[in-house]
Order: sequence, then C-alpha cells, then structure tokens
Amino acid sequence: MGRKGDFNVLGEVSRWDLVTAGVVLARLDTDPHLSFFTATEEPTVRALADLLVAQHDEPRVPVVEMMDKRLMAGETDGWHYADMPEDGDAWRQSLSALDEEATEQHGKGFAQLPLESQAALVQAVQDADQWRGFTAKHLWSLWTRYVCTAFYSHPWAWNEMGFGGPAYPRGYKNLGLDRREKWERPEADASDPVPWAERREQALRAQEKRVGTPRPRQPGVENVVPKRSEPNHR
Amino acid sequence: MSRLRDADVRARNESAWLLPTGPERTNHRLRADMRRYDECDEVDVAIVGCGAGGATLLQRLARAGASVVGFDAGPFWDPDADWVSDEAGSHKLYWTEPRVISGRDPVPLGSNNSGRGVGGSMIHYAGYTPRFHPSDFRTYSTDGVGADWPISYVELKPYYEAIEQELPVSGQSWPWGDPHRYPYSPQPLGGNGEVFVRGAHALGIPTRIGPVAIANGRFGNRPHCIYRGFCLQGCKVNAKASPLITHIPDALAHGAEIRANCMVTRVVVDDQGQATGVTYMTGGVEHFQPARLVVVAGYSIETPRLLLLSATKQFPDGLCNDHGLVGRHLMVQGAPQVAGRFDVEVRMYKAPPPEVSSEEFYETDPTKPYQRGFALQNISPLPITYSEHVAAQGHWGEALREYMRDYTHWAVMGSLCEFLPRYENSVTLAQETDRYGLPVADFSYSMCDNDRAVEEAAQKVQEDILKAAGATETIAVKRYAHLVGGCRMGADAGHGVVNADHQSFAVPNLYLVDGSVLPTQGSANPALTIMALAARCADRLRSRSRMGPLETECP
Repeated sequence: MGRKGDFNVLGEVSRWDLVTAGVVLARLDTDPHLSFFTATEEPTVRALADLLVAQHDEPRVPVVEMMDKRLMAGETDGWHYADMPEDGDAWRQSLSALDEEATEQHGKGFAQLPLESQAALVQAVQDADQWRGFTAKHLWSLWTRYVCTAFYSHPWAWNEMGFGGPAYPRGYKNLGLDRREKWERPEADASDPVPWAERREQALRAQEKRVGTPRPRQPGVENVVPKRSEPNHR
Repeated sequence: MSRLRDADVRARNESAWLLPTGPERTNHRLRADMRRYDECDEVDVAIVGCGAGGATLLQRLARAGASVVGFDAGPFWDPDADWVSDEAGSHKLYWTEPRVISGRDPVPLGSNNSGRGVGGSMIHYAGYTPRFHPSDFRTYSTDGVGADWPISYVELKPYYEAIEQELPVSGQSWPWGDPHRYPYSPQPLGGNGEVFVRGAHALGIPTRIGPVAIANGRFGNRPHCIYRGFCLQGCKVNAKASPLITHIPDALAHGAEIRANCMVTRVVVDDQGQATGVTYMTGGVEHFQPARLVVVAGYSIETPRLLLLSATKQFPDGLCNDHGLVGRHLMVQGAPQVAGRFDVEVRMYKAPPPEVSSEEFYETDPTKPYQRGFALQNISPLPITYSEHVAAQGHWGEALREYMRDYTHWAVMGSLCEFLPRYENSVTLAQETDRYGLPVADFSYSMCDNDRAVEEAAQKVQEDILKAAGATETIAVKRYAHLVGGCRMGADAGHGVVNADHQSFAVPNLYLVDGSVLPTQGSANPALTIMALAARCADRLRSRSRMGPLETECP
C-alpha cells in the first residue's frame, strides 16, 4: 500500500497510446502456469522472489510469472559475468544451490522454511564473497535485477510509489518542485504523520527482524534524521 | 532559431522536413520508395552500423552522390508501432545478444550503453550533446596521461557547429572548453533540475541548462517535447534527436539504402589486402554485398569484434590488428550517481532526464591528487532503474519497498568521470558463441588509481550539492556510462588502428567511423563528437575523390 491514497495509474489507461497500453496491461495477467521454471524450482523461486520484494500477502504482483516469460524467451540484459553461466542456467543452478543450503542447514527445502530462516539464508548470500561456487555479488545482482525489473514494471508497484506510468501522448504540464498534474496525488495525509527518517528506520527494523541479525547502517545515514521543524525547500 | 537559419539547415539536411506532419511519426512512403541495390551491383560504400557514426556518414555520402548501403543488425524502427512509454517494454532497443564481461571491474552492457537498430544507441541516449574540450585532444602532452589525437579541436569545431544545428541542440551559452552558444534556447526546468541548480549555486558552482538535443520549440515537422520523461526508452514524440530522424530521412531522399535486420559477420578482404565487401546474415541466410569501400561503424564492442572475426591468412590475428591494437584502449566513463531526499515532492521523472550540467571540474586541477576530471549532469531514473540504485545500498525486502514508496521525494544527480585509456581494457573473442555460431565479445575492464580518485571526487561534489539544496539523506551508487575507444585513431600504425581520416592503416579501403576511434573520452557524452567526426570524415572522403561522386575515384 502506498502513501498516495487511492491513486491508481490504471485510471489513466484510456489516455495512453495503444501499443504501450497493450504492453502494460499484459502484466496484469495472473495465469500462474510456468514454462521455464520446473515444478521442483517453482516453490524455491516463488519464496525467493516474495522475500526480495517483501510480498507476503495476496494479491501479489506476478513477479515469478513475468520472470518466467522473460527467461523462456531468452530475454537477457545482453551480458553476463565471465564467472557466471548465461542467465537461465544461472537461475537454475542458484535455485538448486539455495535448496541444498536449506536442506543442509535445516533438513528441509527452502520454501518449507519459516520466513525468518529463509531471510537469514538469503542475507548470508548478500554478505558472502563466495557462496556455493558463485561469486556472491554477481549472483545477488542476477537475483535482484530480475526480481526488481519484474516488480517495478507492474502498475500496482507504480501506485505504491505515486509514479504516473506511461505518459504518451499526454506528457506533463506542471514541472517543478511540489507541482502536480490534476490526476497526480499528494500524500494521503499532507502533514506526513510518520516522517521519512522514521519510516526508513521502521522498514530497516522489520527487515532486521526477518533476517535475525542487526544490519549495519551505511556510513552517513544515521546522521541525517531530519528535525521535524526543518522548513521545506521551496 | 530564425527561419533563415532553419532554411540553411534544411538546404543541407532536409530530414526534419521529410517527417510526416500528421499523427504518424514515420514517413512510410519514403521508406517504401527507398532505392534498393542488387547484390550483384558493387556499391561505392557499404556501412556497417546505422548509429551516430554510420547514419551521419550515410547521409553525407548519399548527398555527395555516392551509392551507399547501410547495414544494421536491428530493426528499422517505427516509433509509433515499435516503442512504448515504458521501461521494461523497451528491452528490444538494446543490444541483448550475448556478451561476456570480465576484468577486475566488469562493466554491465545492454540497456546502459549498447543500442541495436537504425539510430543506434542515440535511440536510447538521454539526449545530452556536449562538445569535447580542446584539452581532450592532447591529454598526453598537457597532462601526461591518456593520448594525443592526430587531429585538434579546431579541426572538428566546424563539424560540431554543423551537427548542433542539424539535431538541433538547446541550451544556455556555454562558458567551458571552447565557449560557444547553442541554436535553441534552453528547456524549462523540472524539480530535479531546480534542486541541482539551487544546491550548486549555494556552493558557488556554476551550472548551465543543457546542452540537450531536443529543440525548445518545433523543428521542421518535429513537434515540441511533451516532457514525459521517457527519453531513455526511445522518443515516441520525434522531439529528441537521433539519426533515425535527423539523418536517415535525408539519406533515403538522396538514394541511400538501409538494410535493417542484417547482421554483418565478416569484412571480406582479397589476397591483395583490399576490402571487397561484407558478408551478412538475414533471415538465417548468408549474403554478400560487394563494395568499393567498406566502413565499419558498429561501436566500441562490435567494431573490434567484427575485425577480429574477419581474420584471413594475411591477417591471422584479425583485420587491422598487426600491432595488437584492435579492441584495445576501450573506455567507459565512471558515472557515480547520488540521490537526495527532500521533504517536498521532486517527481524527477517529469521533464526530460537531461536538464542541467556543470563542467566546472572537467579540466585537470593541479591542486587535486588526480589528472583530468568530471562533469556533473542531472539524470532522472524511472522506477526499475531507481530500484537498482536503492538495491545497490544493500536494501532488499521491506527496506527496498519503503525507499521505493518514497520515490517522488528524491532528486538524482549523475556525473561523467574521465577514465583513462588503458591497453588492458579490451574486447577479445570469448569461447561462447552467438546464434550464428560466431564467438561473442568478452569485454574486460579494470580501473586504475586515477579513475578511482576522480570517481570519489565526483561523488563527493554531488553529495555536497544535494545537501546544500536541502537533502536530508543521500544515497550513492557507483556505475558506468558510455563506451568509446577500442580501435583508436593515431598518427601511425604503431599508435592507432586508423589514421586521422578514419582510414585503417592495414586495409586502405576500410574505414572505421564510430565511437571506437576516440583516443580519449573527456567527461562528455560521446554522441555529438561521434557525429561530428563522421561529418568530417565524409568531407575528407569527398576531398580525396576530388570531383563529385565517389564512384569516379575511390580512395
């Protein structure tokens, strides 16, 4: 749920060009049938994708369905790291490795684990240099690129962000700080009852709870909690 | 721009007036009536690649009366039918055939720097079109790093001016490098641009709006920009310049042929060491087009790859590679990018991503511990690209979602850092093969200490500017932008693959006319310089052939 009240990108669909509308609306397809991922891989990839973009409830953005179509079509980013196989094989091998890691540590497949254990396993990949034969940061890049690209291509994700989506042929008229089009929405509560710094801390704490260990804050982040009384920058 | 100057441009390049005025963005009649050469006919010039270099050269040579065919591995785009106002849906604009990336600092390719289809990477570039500074042409002499070009800024200047009029470029008067003006007044600023200007001015750093290849107004039959923010996904409006609309229409009107969806697999060279034409694949079938002159304009990855793939008995290590320079000295710019959080809404995606620049830190500053410098520019990532920025902080799950939910409150700045040309940064052939069974490119990249120092400095200035503008938090990501080099021009065969006229030292009727020939890259986006070089090369070819059409006498 976003902070822009009832803002719904799809309310503007009649003002998009037909080619774009076709491409975006196709993403609303929720047919759960997968072609690329096998029945063995499916629960693992679903659990992993849910975790990476914190989708723990229905209705879900069909992230895995979109990734599946993309991998089936061989629609890669046009490169892969020299120490990684091509993307499709990298996905298969890493899902199988994730399941093996789960079985070694907990005696169950990744998807059968409670969220906290899944999160700890995934965090261990992000923190590692090498992980089960992968250069961990290259694997992390593969996972997050595919999952984020799918999630943030979906109109529901845009609603949450307040992003207007396709803007052709309509375009924008009101450029500049704190200026909106008629159909854009400000925050539902203009006084911002929970300031950004607090919301960020809440989210980081929720994430830590999942993973089970405190996350190091990046240098420079702690010192920027703003004073509530700071004037806006107009 | 006055009507008189519009008329001047139209007299030498009618492209903007050959586009339709109605609801369509493509002149389908012009394409249907395009001249088509027979494969039995030897044409004057075969050009491999229809991007910034190839398309500009094609238009100039067609105007000069030469018979010219331009090949492109990708489609002949129709902005109405082929492009969408959407990030993920724009996947096909990029070169997504397989490539391997390696080295200590591997550089991701694809959407960030590699185009495919007629118009090349300028279809998805942001639209920034700065000139190089005069110093960029002699960094070795003046700063002891990089390389000297075999030509100077002064030789390229008239071509910069010509291309700036043809695109055309809008922006404020430019105080840096060789000070100059732009044909069109600057674009209005969005929230992202306002933040940059305010923060920079608070610190005493001068900024200028532009230079952006989007007319502030109509130009020929090209409409005004609608500020929809999807410049990097191909301009459906026809407002942002790319060769597809700035040079290809005029080339077709003067008898050039475009052969799209044709992947050139080999430059064929005979036993005398002369190029005789190109082999290409289309529809799964191999063809051969004979040509008196072959131009490769496939950009920094595919140009060296094609030369390496074209090895013969006489050239066992690849064409033009007698001195081991093909695929070498490839450069990317460091492009650290910083986002800043503001209490007000910025909505950075409203307005074109290219807005404001500063070249205040472009030149070597003797008080700094590094040579050369960087440029600052606005950039406005859309949701998917911005999620990469957030994920690069290590955030995932709830934290990633919360940052993304706050999207409208963030402003983003980018920078271009001059990384130095190094022999070890290279394209070689990988073991892996593509769908034609040809080895794919392995692009290896490793930064040097000077590169890292410039990158750090650029990031620091951006953080300072955003904080000075009132940002309550900044998050930075290190990334790369642009490709140039790989087949650089040099004074002699020991120092370059081609000479100052783009002619290869090894095969006299083989020319390279694209970003691969740049010996240094400055801190400027390369598109304008590549086009200016192509326009200059066309003049050099014409003067070599002396009178009129090239077919009378080919170099």
